[in-house]
Amino acid sequence: MAKSDDCIHILQGLLVFGNVVIGMCGIALTAECIYFVSNPYGPYPLLKDTGNNDFYAAAWIGIFVGLALFALSILGIIGVIKASRTLLLVYIILMLITFAFEMASCITAATHRDSLTPNVFLKQMLERYQKSEPANNSDNEVTKTWDELMLQKHCCGVLGPSDWQEYTSAFRLTHNDADYPWPRKCCVLDAQGLPVNLDACKLGVPGYYNSNGCYDAISGPVNTHAWGVAWFGFAILCWTFCVLLGTMFYWSGIEY
Amino acid sequence: ELPYRPVLTQTPPLEGLTTASTFVLDQPRCIFRGYDNADIWLVVALDKAASTFNNTAGPGTPETAFQDFPDPVHAYMTLNATLANYPCPKPAGDITVLRVGSETSCAQDAARPTCNGPLPGPGPYRVKFLALEGSEPVAETAWSAPIMLRTAKSPSSISTTDSGHSAGMIAITTILSILFAILLAGLVAMLVFWGSDSCGGSSTFSKPESVTVRRYNTHHVYDQPAARL
Repeated sequence: MAKSDDCIHILQGLLVFGNVVIGMCGIALTAECIYFVSNPYGPYPLLKDTGNNDFYAAAWIGIFVGLALFALSILGIIGVIKASRTLLLVYIILMLITFAFEMASCITAATHRDSLTPNVFLKQMLERYQKSEPANNSDNEVTKTWDELMLQKHCCGVLGPSDWQEYTSAFRLTHNDADYPWPRKCCVLDAQGLPVNLDACKLGVPGYYNSNGCYDAISGPVNTHAWGVAWFGFAILCWTFCVLLGTMFYWSGIEY
Repeated sequence: ELPYRPVLTQTPPLEGLTTASTFVLDQPRCIFRGYDNADIWLVVALDKAASTFNNTAGPGTPETAFQDFPDPVHAYMTLNATLANYPCPKPAGDITVLRVGSETSCAQDAARPTCNGPLPGPGPYRVKFLALEGSEPVAETAWSAPIMLRTAKSPSSISTTDSGHSAGMIAITTILSILFAILLAGLVAMLVFWGSDSCGGSSTFSKPESVTVRRYNTHHVYDQPAARL
């Protein structure tokens, strides 16, 4: 009798510990997702235009899931200590619903991260950058965002300045190839914003133009956001799975 | 004829070596020795017309005007220079190049037949240097290898739809689906066996508040160990 009492106490202790961890992770998830949602970084207008900002949907789901996890973990702790079958049943069902939502959020974040290939940005840049008759405000946004990006990150194009040579573009329609093999923003600029050596930039002499592409600068933050939501959520769900299994086992052993 | 063949610039490596309408040649340094009085011209010709070019055709004439290139003019002359422009030896560290196609302002100006205007198509083109004293050709280099320029594709040819799924995303999806399925199965098992007693096999335990241990105080001290059991 004493031995199984000890086993029960150990199981109770483990479940309480598991629920405490879930509660804390829920708070952390909420905080992380609030940070992502409220902190749009520089190239966000480009993502908005591609229509692929569903990882913001994933972050919003993450906020509410985090709060739900915290609340349910408190319910779970109470249910385990009081060994109440009803409380624990409610806990398990609500946890399963939360599990499903968080699963959707993780998969959405991972899928949409995968769909942001360089080609998506390349096509958008070629078709919209410096479009002479901007169809709507978002074309101006795209131009402004690209200019800032190329200036601040010292990069050119998506994969490199040769993007402007390999493909025709809206930019090419208004700027001839001999004078502007690539936009002026790709040149190394001095303090006044003028190219240090325009001829060297047009030739492509190393040191007078930005030779690397901007894709790394765009995809770096996107990767952090997406994997932050997806992998952290995945880790929480694995832990929750163990705690829920333990709770089910505990539940089936309670005398009613 | 001099044994030199004009080449595209190899050092330093240039991003804009060939664009859609320009290309970059090495300057002919230390090639035209002794021709101090000659004008050195660059002849740019269509590949198929290189062999039929007549050296006596003068620069600045309608037969070699840039504005009529490539039809009916098949070769034009441009980039006039003298030996003083190409001093020998070349100072180390200097970038000595000729950018063919860089003058956009005179491309339509018929009054400037020797304009170094942008090339009208992807080519192929061949070039050679020709030294003229007065209107007499005195020296020339060999024709270069055919030079092809870049052709730009349309951005609608970029495919944005087939992006593969990364291993991470597949791992997340499968593992989470399996875990969720196990939990659902567990929940169903729980509800099905709600009525039956010990499913887990281990002993059931009673709720804490229904178990109270009463101490039986006996008057006899030596009985107490027995009561505790």
